[in-house]
Formats: sequence, C-alpha cells, structure tokens
Amino acid sequence: MSNIALTRIQREFKEVIKSDEVKNCQIKLEPFEDNFTHLKGEIIGPPDTPYQGGKYTLDIVIPETYPFNPPKVKFLTKIWHPNISSQTGAICLDILKDQWAAAMTLRTVLLSLQALMSAAEPDDPQDAVVATQFKQHPEIFRSTASFWAYVYAEAPRNEKMKEYEEKLKQLQEMGFHEKNSRITALSSKNWDLQAAMEFLLP
Amino acid sequence: MSSSDSTFEGSDKKESDNSSASNYECNICFDVARDAVVSMCGHLFCWPCIHRWMTARSGRMTCPVCKADINEDKFIPLYGRNTTDQQDPRKKVPPRPQGQRQESENTNGGGFNLGENFSMSFGIGAFPFGVFSTFNVPDRQGHYGHGHTHGPAPNQDEQFLSKVFLYVAVFFIFWLILA
Repeated sequence: MSNIALTRIQREFKEVIKSDEVKNCQIKLEPFEDNFTHLKGEIIGPPDTPYQGGKYTLDIVIPETYPFNPPKVKFLTKIWHPNISSQTGAICLDILKDQWAAAMTLRTVLLSLQALMSAAEPDDPQDAVVATQFKQHPEIFRSTASFWAYVYAEAPRNEKMKEYEEKLKQLQEMGFHEKNSRITALSSKNWDLQAAMEFLLP
Repeated sequence: MSSSDSTFEGSDKKESDNSSASNYECNICFDVARDAVVSMCGHLFCWPCIHRWMTARSGRMTCPVCKADINEDKFIPLYGRNTTDQQDPRKKVPPRPQGQRQESENTNGGGFNLGENFSMSFGIGAFPFGVFSTFNVPDRQGHYGHGHTHGPAPNQDEQFLSKVFLYVAVFFIFWLILA
C-alpha cells in the first residue's frame, strides 16, 4: 500500500475509534489483517426501518490509490434493500463510485451506508427485484426486509415472521433444502408459495 | 474533515502537539499541509495532493471537501514564516501556483499619475491628448456620465467600465472629427 494510503487509514482509524458513533455502538471498524488494506466494518440497522436492531457486517478493501479512489465496500451480511444486491452484497451508492471525494473517510462512508438503509433510492437500484417490490408492494417489502434482518442480522422477531417461517417450512417439505434459496425465492415472489416453487424448479 | 477536538497521540511522527494543529492538516492526506494551497472555497490542501486529485480521474474538478468547482489556476499558495519552499522537490508535479499581487489602489494618491488608462490611450496617437485628460480626470472620481449609475461597484469593475466608456468616447470623437 502506498505511503499516503497507509498513513491516512491509520489516522482515520484513530478518528473512528474516538468518534461518538463508536461510543454509541452505531458503527465499528477493525482490520482483517494488520496491514490496514482489508477492514471489517459493522453498522447497526437504523431506527424506524425494517433493519432496526440488526448488525450488518461490511467488507472494506482499501485500494492502492486511496484516498484518490474510493474504498471497495460490500455487505457481508445478507440484506433486502433496493440498492444492495440480495445475492452478492454489492452496493449501489454514488459516493462509492463517481461521487467519491478525497476528504471523505471510512467513518463518513459507514454513516452514509446507514443513511442509505434509512432512505432507499428505488429509481437507481442495484437489485431490480427488490426495487420493484419496494415500489409496487411497500408493505411486503418492509416485512420481507425485517424478516431478512431477523434471519441474517440478529434483529428482533415480529408477528409477521411466523407466517413466513410457515411458508419456508412448506417449501422445505417439498424437497427444497437450501434455506437461503428458499428465502430468496419466496421474497422475490412476494411470498407466493406457488410462484416461489416454480422459481426454484430447474 | 477532522473535528477540532481530534488530537493525535504523541506517538505520531509529526509533532501535532495541540488540537489547533489539525486546523492546518491537508484535507486529502490528513497530514500537516506541505506546499500548502487553499482553494477559492477555503479548503486547505498540500499542492501535490490536490494536484493528484485533479489529475487522478479526468474531469473531476470539484473540491474534495465541498464539491465546489475548482480550477488549477485559482489556488492560493500559503506562505508561512521561515518557509524554505524553494528547496522542495516538486519535479513530479507542476510548481505550485504563484501568489498574485495587485498594487493597492490608494497608493496612487491625488497627484498627476493617472495610471494605465492614460498610457493605453497614448498608443492611439498623440493628437487628442487634451481631450483625453478631460475625460480621464472626472472618470477616476466616478462622476462622469454612466459611471454614476453603478454606485458602489467594486473598484476593479469601475476601472474596467471607465476604460470601456473612455474607448467609446474616443471612438465617438474620432468619428465626429472625421465626419
């Protein structure tokens, strides 16, 4: 890693550790390895969203040309969000692409991701299926997103989840054993059991 | 970006011994700015850092802090006391922009020194010398003709306007003489 990237990451690291957000357990940042090129971030699902109470782990790779180019960030925790791929965790956020500015920091990136979780941009989607559901069936979107938060991000349960678990169980009994693909199929098909089954069949 | 209360531990190689030092950190490398320049929007950078930002990806001429338009020609260098910036190795990047100095307007005083307006009009010819001076004198005091309507315009604009009016007047007189 170039000298400027390394010294800057080290400084940012100190800044994040001392920030109020870390003290309030809103964000976390720790290196994967000692060389600061690969870091692990964590953000808490913001209040009044389906992600509330969830813990979301992020994979952060610092490029050689940092801070002239943005860090490469993706979600490791699976999430149901129009601007985040439900399959890969890839994020569609302008500041991680062409709107990056060298004065931004890992702290501001993590906070921006938290803001993105509160305010999705369905017209600039990363996951078209989620974005369509977000626009056409907002109620189903919300309950699906909170179900994903419960299953993958340790968010609290709610009463709607019993119904969803029931449908998952039915699919399992039909012989679909892979849990993640069952969840994806049902979520993508607005929890229509028949459609999800057709989706899963080869 | 760094908040005013962010101090760095003594283990740092730069002796940023108090929090005010972070006010003079480059917004890109977060180190104390070397070859410091400031943008028109007021943000401080190392010249090598901001130059690299402007050339890193083509067409990205926005301030890294506030995204205001920036332009290579519009950075102001900051010279502290005892800076030995002539010795800095800056061969990889173009030299830091020069400071631009303008003589203060008031040093001209009252005298008969009517400044650039005058010498430029000499170029046209010596003939209407008397005419020029009659235009020129009231001009500088802002009482002549249209100049009046501009009220408290900045001095530079006023000067420019007065030049324009002067040329229009000259042209008009020539035309009168020739007609």
